[in-house]
Amino acid sequence: MINVQHLSKTFDLSKQQRKELQTAAKTATAVNDLSFECQPGRVFSLLGPNGAGKTTTLRMLATLVKPSGGQIQIQGIDAIAHPEEARKHIGFLTGSTGLYARLTPIELIDYYADLYGVEKTIREQRKKDLFDLLDMNDFLQQRIGKLSTGMKQKVSICRTMIHDPSVVIFDEPTSGLDVITAENIIKLIRSCKDQGKTVIFSSHIMSEVDLLCDDLAIVHKGQLKYSGTMDEFKAQMQTKNLTEEFIRIVQSQNQDQ
Amino acid sequence: MIYRIFRKELLDTLRDRRTLMTMLVIPVLIFPIVLNVFVEISKSFEVDAQEKTLKMGVWGPKSEQLKGQLKALPDALGKKKIQSFTDSASLNKAVRNQQIDLGLFCQTDSSGKNLQLDWIFDASEVGRQDRAQAFNDAISAQEEQKRLQELGIKVQEIKPVNANFTNCASNKKMVGKLAGGFLPYIFIAFGFIGCMYPAIDLFTGEKERGTIETLLTTPVARWKILVGKMLVVISSGMLAASCSLLGLFISIEFLDLGAEKELLEVIHSILTFPFIASMLALLLPLVIFFAGVMIPIAVYAKSFKEAQSIITPLNIVMVLPAMVGFFPGIELNLNTVFIPVVNVVLATKELIAGTLGLGYFVCVFGVMCLMAFLSILLSYRQFDKESNVLS
Repeated sequence: MINVQHLSKTFDLSKQQRKELQTAAKTATAVNDLSFECQPGRVFSLLGPNGAGKTTTLRMLATLVKPSGGQIQIQGIDAIAHPEEARKHIGFLTGSTGLYARLTPIELIDYYADLYGVEKTIREQRKKDLFDLLDMNDFLQQRIGKLSTGMKQKVSICRTMIHDPSVVIFDEPTSGLDVITAENIIKLIRSCKDQGKTVIFSSHIMSEVDLLCDDLAIVHKGQLKYSGTMDEFKAQMQTKNLTEEFIRIVQSQNQDQ
Repeated sequence: MIYRIFRKELLDTLRDRRTLMTMLVIPVLIFPIVLNVFVEISKSFEVDAQEKTLKMGVWGPKSEQLKGQLKALPDALGKKKIQSFTDSASLNKAVRNQQIDLGLFCQTDSSGKNLQLDWIFDASEVGRQDRAQAFNDAISAQEEQKRLQELGIKVQEIKPVNANFTNCASNKKMVGKLAGGFLPYIFIAFGFIGCMYPAIDLFTGEKERGTIETLLTTPVARWKILVGKMLVVISSGMLAASCSLLGLFISIEFLDLGAEKELLEVIHSILTFPFIASMLALLLPLVIFFAGVMIPIAVYAKSFKEAQSIITPLNIVMVLPAMVGFFPGIELNLNTVFIPVVNVVLATKELIAGTLGLGYFVCVFGVMCLMAFLSILLSYRQFDKESNVLS
């Protein structure tokens, strides 16, 4: 389970950044007072346009970035006070995730299994299951740099799941992928849900959201604009489809300002 | 966990051809190549100098006498072909136009008793000045002998002082003090270059390839990740420096590229286990210091290119002080012992000469360990900044 209370993140702006952003302000707020909860066995979608603060939020959940304020609980662990403990329960996958091109898939998976402290006997069984499930057995000994995008994506998935995380965070996981490769991610998210894991993913592709999510939150300029279940969201829609409703909510925010 | 990270990063590094080249191949080959080129060039100069027939021009009232004396000189002083000139201007012109290699104006001085020899040559041509000096010395000796005989004086009678100069320094000490700066310079340069590519690859490269994000989501403390990576950078620097030593060893032992026999014996007596162990002990904190200075830059840089453009000029700042070792007058003392890099070079020179005291050794080691510690702290501070790690 993920519980987020009054989460905020403010970045200091360098002179160069102030010049680029044409602002005199010394700080920029990326996330402002976000609160939401993600339940096990449900898929939570974090929606928002580019620059809304989705990636910063997910990076804070993954303990990559320290929040400026607020609280994060991962499986009941205070992720700000005990980030290393919280990380044991987290699987993190982004669309821009890179892999070590000079290693083979098996070397990479073993490395991450060691970093997560997965016991050898459990690891071997889990590797076998994942390799079979993702149909990876044919390219396990090839260097990752020589694999196709689809194969690399499978390695990334395997790396994310090798320690059997109870919380899985996906940051725009299908961005830049073709539909066939993206299908692996869709299957993974569904599989995580079926296994009772807590899943949160960010996206701005509404078809994906409609297909997968049970709960959703819309963020814009770092602030929460909507939070609820997918069914509730659909029930109170003022437009014909999800994309238009998403645009309406974001634009109404712009008009309010 | 640090060892696990080290193992993976080492494997990754050893599979990078660029790093392998700077870490292993170039350091091993540099000494054989440099020595080979040096020996071949020296030999060819020597052969040229011995075999080249010098075109000499002579002019002056005493030219016929000198011509005879010069012809009588043995070929060991250099072969020569002598041509007489009828006027000084044409001889001068011929030397300046390089038609004549060495010009000699032979006259008598104002007393009319003594020979006045004026030599003209182009000193930019290797060996000309040495030949002129050799001929002049030989003729002067003949003339002196002749004059003494005329006066009926024995040489011993006009030499009231007999002097002997004894060099009490061993060959090892001479090599260490006069040429010992070359060795640490090479080691330091390779220690630096050996660190450079792995530092950029393991820090900036991870950022650029997008692998750092996933690494930092693992439940491993950041300092452990830093130490694991840093150990690979340090190992690479040490390996590069050691490989250059291996290259030197191969050149001397197997390729027979060393110079003179005496010098070879000296080098043999230097390359002992205690010397190598002491040198590596001095080099280790220096390489850690290099790694600790490079890593914050590699962490800060957003691309391989940016990191390279900052670290390459740093090479000059860091390695240039090592050239201090080339100057024979500069020694390890209470001032120089506190200057990083310079102190290691000077201590290594003393080590080669066999004159490094334990106090200075401990002092240099301590200063470099302190610098290494500070640079590690700097690396940690930079690596812990989320803005620098995540692009």
